Amino acid sequence: MADKPLLPELMKAHGISRRGFLKYCATLTSMMALPPILAPKVAMALEGASRPSVIWLSFQECTGCTEAITRSYAPTIEDLIFNAISLDYHHTLQAASGEAAEAAREAAMEENWGNYLVIVDGSIPLANPGFSTIAGISNLEMLKQTAEGAAAIVAVGSCAAFGGIPHADPNPTGAVSVADIITDKPIINVPGCPPIPVVMTSVLAQFLAFGLDSIEVDDLGRPKAFYSETIHDRCYRRPFYDKGLFAESFDDEGAREGWCLYKLGCKGPTTKSVCATVKWNDGTSFPIQAGHPCLGCTEPDFWDNGGFYKPLSVPAGDYRKLGLAAVAGGAVLGVAGGAIARSVKSSAAAKHEPVTPDDLEKKS
Amino acid sequence: MSASLEKGLNALREQIDAPVASFFTSCVSCGICAEACLFYQETGDPKYTPIHKLEPMRRIWSNEFTLLGRAKSMLGMGRKVTEQDLADWEELVYDSCTMCGRCTLVCPVGNDITMMIRKMREGMSASGNAPEELVAGAKRHWEKGSPMGDLLPALTAHVKNVEKSTGIQVNVDKKGVDYLVILSAQEVAVYNEVIEALARILDKAGVSWTFSSEAFEGTNVGIQIGSKDLAREFVSRTVNAAEKLKVKGVISPECGHAYQALRWEGPNLIGRTYPFEVVHVIELLDRLRADGRLKTKGMDHAKLTFHDPCQINRRGGINHEPRRLLNMVADNFTETEDAGTMNWCCGGGGGVGSNESATELRLQAFQRKKRQFEAVAPEKIVTMCAYCHHILEESLEHYDMDIEVQGLTELMAEYLEDA
Repeated sequence: MADKPLLPELMKAHGISRRGFLKYCATLTSMMALPPILAPKVAMALEGASRPSVIWLSFQECTGCTEAITRSYAPTIEDLIFNAISLDYHHTLQAASGEAAEAAREAAMEENWGNYLVIVDGSIPLANPGFSTIAGISNLEMLKQTAEGAAAIVAVGSCAAFGGIPHADPNPTGAVSVADIITDKPIINVPGCPPIPVVMTSVLAQFLAFGLDSIEVDDLGRPKAFYSETIHDRCYRRPFYDKGLFAESFDDEGAREGWCLYKLGCKGPTTKSVCATVKWNDGTSFPIQAGHPCLGCTEPDFWDNGGFYKPLSVPAGDYRKLGLAAVAGGAVLGVAGGAIARSVKSSAAAKHEPVTPDDLEKKS
Repeated sequence: MSASLEKGLNALREQIDAPVASFFTSCVSCGICAEACLFYQETGDPKYTPIHKLEPMRRIWSNEFTLLGRAKSMLGMGRKVTEQDLADWEELVYDSCTMCGRCTLVCPVGNDITMMIRKMREGMSASGNAPEELVAGAKRHWEKGSPMGDLLPALTAHVKNVEKSTGIQVNVDKKGVDYLVILSAQEVAVYNEVIEALARILDKAGVSWTFSSEAFEGTNVGIQIGSKDLAREFVSRTVNAAEKLKVKGVISPECGHAYQALRWEGPNLIGRTYPFEVVHVIELLDRLRADGRLKTKGMDHAKLTFHDPCQINRRGGINHEPRRLLNMVADNFTETEDAGTMNWCCGGGGGVGSNESATELRLQAFQRKKRQFEAVAPEKIVTMCAYCHHILEESLEHYDMDIEVQGLTELMAEYLEDA
């Protein structure tokens, strides 16, 4: 594996010009919110990257994340990123299978103990280890084994980052996220269902070029470069929101005019992602542009945050019963409190003795 | 009978109503009331924070009127209000609060702190923690008709003198006239020039009026000391006299809390509306001005400024009237800073001026007005409250400031157009 060709040779083989490569590096640099002056450094780092070993583990997932990254808009360049790393194990992509595949993983781990990168997509079932196994090894066990010698873990997709759809109520498999299990390794969450491909590769590129410490994350472990602004803040339909112009249904005039989808359940205001700026499929579009409200897939528990078509201001869950109980309870307490206060006051009034100037002094 | 702690606590319980409960509940301890308080501003001592002056009442509310407080009290956790607490609070409730109403105006959650101080004083007086000067004043008022004793002989003498010097007949106990004129003890005893001034102005305007030998005193120690029973008795005297004389209106004098007592608290104290109108004398003069019945000649060229009495302006609503009148007769009228509804108190209102123990604090508090007067440097300060008049004179003298103080009615009479 160490004799893989370096990036410049690969570029030539794939018919990519150096100019194209540098453009890609500049894009990455700006996406990572790095100053443009660092673009050459990104290029140099990628060209001469030390090719760390990467092990990609897929657990309870739909392969959507892998599909997205391999079908991204510049597949050859994104592919190169994979070539800049040494992807030693990825059970969807690798040719080997069965014991040979597991042997490859074990060999990579042994060879690079303490230095390899683990990428995880999919959640881990805890209810029964038999719910998801690979080569007879449960997901939980494989994650623990592999993570032990890892330098860092990248949890790709909402399943790995937050539990995702398997974790959704009633969570039959007891699915949890990587961070719920591994607590002693740095974990970078790249959520999304799936994440935007270029976001995934940018995180890897930044890791390659500047190391783990250069990746600043938010309180949910997401790289700030891609998850610090809401979709709403950058949405091209935002002016309609500000003017109070909303589509009320999917076939009304507002929908045809491209007004704000807030009332149709858009989660853009509470969802942090670069969808509205980077967009998907070679920058072609993103859900809101296609006329569908944002589902909020980069946020934890997006599947259970009320209905996809319920406006954000409508509370999720069985709030009516709870609310009624709270109102009733409050009313009972209020009436009781009021009755007590009134009785204290009226008994005081009953005890009132008219005051004359003679009553103003204490006489002993 | 005697005052006692139990009576005081009972009086406080009686005073805690829905507004008080909601005020205590909604206080967010922001401290903005302190910034509005003359006594906190001039001393910087946080104990003068207005809402803190209500702590004993707040504790009773919390211990006895709230579910959580009652539960705590049952477990012996609520801090009870003791004899000592009330004694300690006397200074805060009586000496360092003129009930000027600034704190109420600035409270961001709309708490009427001034009204709560008034209520708090009910408990203080019933528990025997009212200042001795106010207690003595209440006794004199109860027995002799005025906190300064029996002033009827003095009033009778003034009436005679005015009749002699002006040739105008001054009615006493005359039925069916338009107005019953009430004075304040301070005016009868000290600033009696106002009687002649008023007689001349009302005569010229063709307003019929009378004094009552039974009720010429507008002061109400019951309001100051905080006793609704006393306040009701004192207000009733005026109401009864006015009803007996069948007047259309009662003219409230240049006296802050007399106006407060008769105009705003009175109907609540006696539990019904009046069959007559209450009008402040300056309000009436401004009406006469608007009707063209008050005509003046000449101008006072001296540099004048005006002191707003808290109870008449901020808590009484009479703000533009005195200014319109002043501009009729003064061509060098300059306002002080904060003049109008956010004016600072003279420091003597709400009974503070009569408390011997408050003198030092009151004079310290006066420094705010002192600085404001120094900035304007007037030759004369005009006001429309005899007690402000008295406190201003006393404080100016203390600080060696040679500025004349005059009542507005008197100033207007000076420039009254001759027949």
